[in-house]
Amino acid sequence: MATVTSLRPQFKASPYLIGAGILFIVTFIYAVYLKVTLGYAAFNTTNYGVFWGFPIVVYDYFLLTSVGLALVAAVPLALGVRALDPIAKRCVWLAIAALVGGVAILFMELAHPLRALWATPLNLQTASPLFWKILCVGAYTIVLVLTALALARGARPGEVPRPLAILLGLLALAIAAIAGSVYGMLVFRPFWYGGELPVVFIIESVMGGLAFVIFFTYVAYGMAPDTVPQGTRELLAGPLGVALAVAVLLHLLFTLARTVTGLWSYGEGMQVWQYTVSQPLYWLGLIGGGVVPLVVFATPTLRTQPWLQIVGGFLVAVGLLASRYEFLINGQLVPPFKGSWAPSLLEYAPSQFEWVLFFMGVFLANTIYAGLESWSSTRQE
Amino acid sequence: MTKWGMVIDLEKCTGCQACTTACAMENSRLPGEAWQDVLFYHEGRYPNVKVSWLPRPCMHCENPSCVAVCPTKATYKTEDGVVLVDWDKCIGCKYCMIACPYGVRFYMDEKPVVQPDLREVFPGDGDRIWNPPYRMPDHLADRKKGIGIQPKGVVSKCTFCYHKISKAPKGVADLDEDDPATREYTPACVRVCPPKARYFGDLDNPNSKVSQLIADKRGVRLKEETGNKPQVYYLAGGAAPVVPGERSQERG
Repeated sequence: MATVTSLRPQFKASPYLIGAGILFIVTFIYAVYLKVTLGYAAFNTTNYGVFWGFPIVVYDYFLLTSVGLALVAAVPLALGVRALDPIAKRCVWLAIAALVGGVAILFMELAHPLRALWATPLNLQTASPLFWKILCVGAYTIVLVLTALALARGARPGEVPRPLAILLGLLALAIAAIAGSVYGMLVFRPFWYGGELPVVFIIESVMGGLAFVIFFTYVAYGMAPDTVPQGTRELLAGPLGVALAVAVLLHLLFTLARTVTGLWSYGEGMQVWQYTVSQPLYWLGLIGGGVVPLVVFATPTLRTQPWLQIVGGFLVAVGLLASRYEFLINGQLVPPFKGSWAPSLLEYAPSQFEWVLFFMGVFLANTIYAGLESWSSTRQE
Repeated sequence: MTKWGMVIDLEKCTGCQACTTACAMENSRLPGEAWQDVLFYHEGRYPNVKVSWLPRPCMHCENPSCVAVCPTKATYKTEDGVVLVDWDKCIGCKYCMIACPYGVRFYMDEKPVVQPDLREVFPGDGDRIWNPPYRMPDHLADRKKGIGIQPKGVVSKCTFCYHKISKAPKGVADLDEDDPATREYTPACVRVCPPKARYFGDLDNPNSKVSQLIADKRGVRLKEETGNKPQVYYLAGGAAPVVPGERSQERG
């Protein structure tokens, strides 16, 4: 049985926080330097067809992970499932960290991020999924911060105002679904097009959220499984592990279904599936981020092994990033309406700047998380 | 209300690229990033090779997906049926480029397509991305309509030479370079076309040349299946203009 004491991690944040903070500052300065000196040419995107590159992949990845964590947090906060109380606060902290990391990358990628802040809400382009996505992310940020403040003031998960928690869950659900629609609505891009995408994005969000909370719970306890409270360990090895297995299974089913159907399809644009399955990244996502973690979390004897949980959670997190990359980039590889001078399949690999942005986002998210964990522990003590 | 549209007769088009050059001069385009382009295709293998081409401006669709997806309404449709970009509202998210089935939108901040990088040879003043020697006169430029030299960090596209056509006499059916009364209001690509393969006029006026050509010669639109309903029609002898895809060649 989880107790309130299990909400208090014995996490000493200093080395983690300082290390992540220093790495963030270094990567941020280098990213700004590259952006100032090279301008938008620092990106490897082109007018030939790959318009959205690796930074958008990472932004989507972080955003979907954030809303996935919020959905997991909503189970105890909104639905009152008290068994999940021990991880509720960590989910909220991680959701904030992932959100900040993702949005920071987006702001470095966008040409006019500040203009987006006023031009989007004031012009009310309700026909655009991106309008709704930006609007929902804005509302989600506010609700997430209010939830975090309630928890930081010492409220137990059950004491967070339920309307707030319900709103958090609904906004998270909406963002994941709309993020899927951003791609799924594009009928002339058959690699993306499909009504199932919002559902896939919701499932993958939850999958990412579960993987993150399992992995970072051990991080919070200094990667020393013995120090994790018994109730929390049982939670990770029990309901959360099983839930992750189910999410991974659904993700695999969707991925395989899309792959097989894509390989059988004749339409122009679907030839990218042959390319996709020829890439190691696809198999990394499928096997490394899907099959292996599924075996770990679906097998009762393996699921209870802390180090296998850590490795499994990490693999899911990495595999999801690989899947997000091949989904978003490969969906643009067939050039839209170009002549013989354009290759049949475009080539794209992240530039040095795009990799720097990725690491900047990762280190920023880790800094925020470490800071919140440290602050939270201090407050409770 | 006028609904401007274009007809391109593929049986007349020689693929000479005069339209591309005129557009680049008129609209201060960087080489390699032509709002108006001619796409060349080859099919088959030697000795049975067929070369075909397709002039491709912005389609200024009736139901444009680029307008629908733009989160800030920077891309909009005018009352006379032209799709424009308000550069003061564009945030550079490029969703319109993702959502355009015809690949007619450009983000000029990318790596240069040709060397030397003319943005460095002719550096822009203010937030203009470059300052070409053949630039459009400043008094014609209009950031709210995406006309002129493109600023940094925004998306641009063919405007149907809106700085010309918007000044045409009210109620005119066609803008024709052969008519002295409308010559100055005719889009650059139409005006320079040597074989006169392009026609520009009011699609809502049944007496306009473009309406008659579409009816008489069975004008067709590209990618009807997307629902965008282009306002650029092609005349291809009654057949659909063939744009060979890689897939059709693979499976052929």
